[in-house]
Amino acid sequence: MEVLERLLNISLVIATIRTTAPILLVALGGSFTTKAGIFNIGLEGQMLVGAFFAVIGTIATGSPWLGVLCGVAAALTLALIFALLVVSFKANEVVVGLALNILAGGLTVSLMKAIFGTRGSIFGHGLVGLPALKLPNVKDLGWFGQMISGYTPLVYAAFILVPVLILFYNRSRLGLYIRVVGEKPEAAEALGISITRIRYISSLLCGLLAGLAGAHLALGYTTMFTENMSSGRGFMAVAILIFSNGDPLKILLGCLLFGFSDALSLRLQTLGISSYLVLAVPYLVALIGLFALSYRSRPRLIQETLASMGRVLSVKSNTIKPATATDASKP
Amino acid sequence: MMSDRFDSLLGQGLAILFALGLGALVILTVDESPMKVLVTLLNGAFGSPERIAGTLLQTTPILICGIAACISFRGGLFNIGIEGQLFMGGFWATWVGFSFNLPPILHMLLAMSAAVIAGMAWIAIPAFFRARYKTNEVVSTILANYVAVLITSYLTINIFKRSGGQSETPPIFESAYLPELFSFSRLNWGLIIGLALAIGVYLFFTRTSRGYAVTEMGANPKFAEYGGIDIRKQVFLVLIASGAVGGLAGGVEALGVHHRFMEGFAPGFGFDGVIAALLANGNPIGTIFTALFFGALRSGSLLLEVDTTASREIITVIQALIILAVSAQITIRRKASDSTAGERRWKF
Repeated sequence: MEVLERLLNISLVIATIRTTAPILLVALGGSFTTKAGIFNIGLEGQMLVGAFFAVIGTIATGSPWLGVLCGVAAALTLALIFALLVVSFKANEVVVGLALNILAGGLTVSLMKAIFGTRGSIFGHGLVGLPALKLPNVKDLGWFGQMISGYTPLVYAAFILVPVLILFYNRSRLGLYIRVVGEKPEAAEALGISITRIRYISSLLCGLLAGLAGAHLALGYTTMFTENMSSGRGFMAVAILIFSNGDPLKILLGCLLFGFSDALSLRLQTLGISSYLVLAVPYLVALIGLFALSYRSRPRLIQETLASMGRVLSVKSNTIKPATATDASKP
Repeated sequence: MMSDRFDSLLGQGLAILFALGLGALVILTVDESPMKVLVTLLNGAFGSPERIAGTLLQTTPILICGIAACISFRGGLFNIGIEGQLFMGGFWATWVGFSFNLPPILHMLLAMSAAVIAGMAWIAIPAFFRARYKTNEVVSTILANYVAVLITSYLTINIFKRSGGQSETPPIFESAYLPELFSFSRLNWGLIIGLALAIGVYLFFTRTSRGYAVTEMGANPKFAEYGGIDIRKQVFLVLIASGAVGGLAGGVEALGVHHRFMEGFAPGFGFDGVIAALLANGNPIGTIFTALFFGALRSGSLLLEVDTTASREIITVIQALIILAVSAQITIRRKASDSTAGERRWKF
């Protein structure tokens, strides 16, 4: 019982919120590409350059906010290369994503060594993190106030983005276009939506949030940069994106599960369990989630296959029709 | 046909030159002279017989991992978890190596089998879910890498740590060593195994009907299914075979080079193998050359860190740039020739 009390209390909730934020930001970024029908394994690298250049920018300018801007700009550059190769050149998205991840890993270490003469990590050098936000009047709210106050701004941004993205996908024109391009590219074409443009926009929006996630990792979650500090969060985000299908609410649930397992595993370390095993917990949770939910989605997969086969058959019987059919479904 | 192949080689060459040019720019930004870096790399890779042997020593695991990647690419699958299979294979080969005391060749063969089995076991679950429920194998095998590295570290440090100081397992018995080829280098039979495997896998894919069925599945899974191939079974077997070779790579490193297992056992060989196979377009014979290229880069980069201010990660940047350039140029060429080939997943 005492062990349970030591593990489960309000500070665990706070730790969960802290550990959820970076992966939530990057996964929400990935929802843009997922919804637009792009499999983006390059999130990891975008997050990593985001973190690195956020640190560089902060050290150079003295302002963590300008640092965040630098990090986002770097992630956007990577996202632009991704879009250029995948969307315009139709290169394989897995290959390009992996290559960009490798590029990000090599580039950050090379530059770290060139600029600071060290490898491993950067801290000091006048590096300051983002300030924690103390919400006003939370003292009166007791434990709840304790729970919602005192995080760095990007933590709030991550959680606020969830409802924003739900509205974006359901209510905004761009959100609808992104979904149409991902789900029914042929319909998008018939509606006169430029698939190329929408996919570019989705990739860049994804880079924007992945950059913020990286910046948060280096300036909010910690105040330093370490070699490969994204440590697989981008890949876990991709796992979440696969089983959430890019829906913001499901992404939030998936990320909270990770945040919780991450926070819990950090506590387990204090109970004397080997840190190697403890560190493996989030990856195992990701794998189990991926496998368990793909098992559950089996009936849906079969249904979808049948539906798409039916579609193929009906399209074949009247090939001229689709254009007019989609015209009718125009909002 | 012949000119097709020539065109493809020419395109590949131009893409590599383009990437090297970009790499030179990157080197300039970190305040080094690209020429000096190139000369240092070449000197480090081929400057003396010992250094050539060193290059081949680095080439061996990249080659074997590359073959593992080729097998999965041929079947239209992405086994990105070769790094994890290598770690598992390396650890369990070492475990057999130091836990039992057996007659020389038998011991080595047994340890090598342990490596292969460990590699297969490590990919078995992702392979099962990919085959049966189409669970994305790219993500599952990547995540499994992290777990493999952590678990082998745990086993090494918390369970089997050698008494007295260092974070490594006890050394294996000499009866489990892979014999060395020359007296002046740790270069060993692993290279011969890798070369034989490359030729064997190439012949399997080009000369046997089973190999043809795998290639067919990679090129067009729907057609393959209509052609009567049991896709589920074949996906599973292809991934298991790929994992087996990945595990073998770990066994070769453990029994041929390190003779023990430690943290950071094989930094990035699995990923280098994937890149080498991609650059060779999934061809095992081509992978021999791309692996040699990357082995030389790696070996040369050791001297790079001593003689210049550039870090050895600069070669990772160059590798990534090459893959990006090649991935773009292949699609341009393909778009020009025919549009139907776009379905081939294992091509770029």
